Amino acid sequence: MRLPCPHCGTRDVQEFTYLGDANVKRPGADEMSEAAMTRYVYERDNPAGRQREYWHHSSGCHAWIVVTRDTRTHRIESAEPAKPLVQS
Amino acid sequence: MADPSLKTKWSRHSAWADILTASPSDAARPCGVNVVAREGLGVAGIQAQRGRKAALSALVKMRYGLELPTTPRAVRDAAHAFVWAGPGQWLLVAEQKESFAELSELAAVSDQSDGRAALRLSGPNVRDMLAKGCMIDLHPAAFPSGAAAMTSIAHIGVHLWRVDEQPYDRPAIFDILVARSMAASFWSWASASAAEYN
Ligand SMILES: [Zn+2]
Repeated sequence: MRLPCPHCGTRDVQEFTYLGDANVKRPGADEMSEAAMTRYVYERDNPAGRQREYWHHSSGCHAWIVVTRDTRTHRIESAEPAKPLVQS
Repeated sequence: MADPSLKTKWSRHSAWADILTASPSDAARPCGVNVVAREGLGVAGIQAQRGRKAALSALVKMRYGLELPTTPRAVRDAAHAFVWAGPGQWLLVAEQKESFAELSELAAVSDQSDGRAALRLSGPNVRDMLAKGCMIDLHPAAFPSGAAAMTSIAHIGVHLWRVDEQPYDRPAIFDILVARSMAASFWSWASASAAEYN
């Protein structure tokens, strides 16, 4: 599999480190509970199909990116910087 | 400021000392891959402060006369190279050691002069040799003059860029930097990969 880094271009997957589901959100202080934290830390959907996921270009530009990928076919729908660059 | 009364036996030691050895020259049989150790460089990691990228770019333009690249490219003249090193980050490579203090008004600057080991690779088989370990396509159609990349070769992180302005059909020249601690490992891979061309 190759991933299109939005900064570097298409690179072999060996250059990246996988983090997983990019949709999980840490519960805010007002919604914090043991059950909410358990969901946040441990529970993942593991979809057969489209997934948004974090990858780190660890052997390249060291940026985090969000890749939308079909987990059945490895078809990449999009790849974008995880942290929209606020610097100008 | 160093205390002048302190005597020390420390002295500068090339990153390639005891690793690279000069090959016996044989003019009758030209080499497929030529390697030159780049010694005495000044190297600095530059990361623009938040919101100061445009100002940093203007400062670099004024001070060095070079345009900071915003894509994976190296912008150079005879004395300095600014090599893209990720979003908002660059590697400044100076032919001579020098102070980078001026840039620290607008950027986080870390001196890497003694932290990196640099080689210049050229010759008709340089691309064949690099292809044995480099996962990116270095053909001129994909990696034209001035192109730069951070990638890994034989599990060693490398920063490489083209320093030539050769026409399309002529062999390219590459500068390649590795962490100093990986110099011997990199050379082990490079010398084995180049052996069949020399
Ligand atoms: Zn990248």
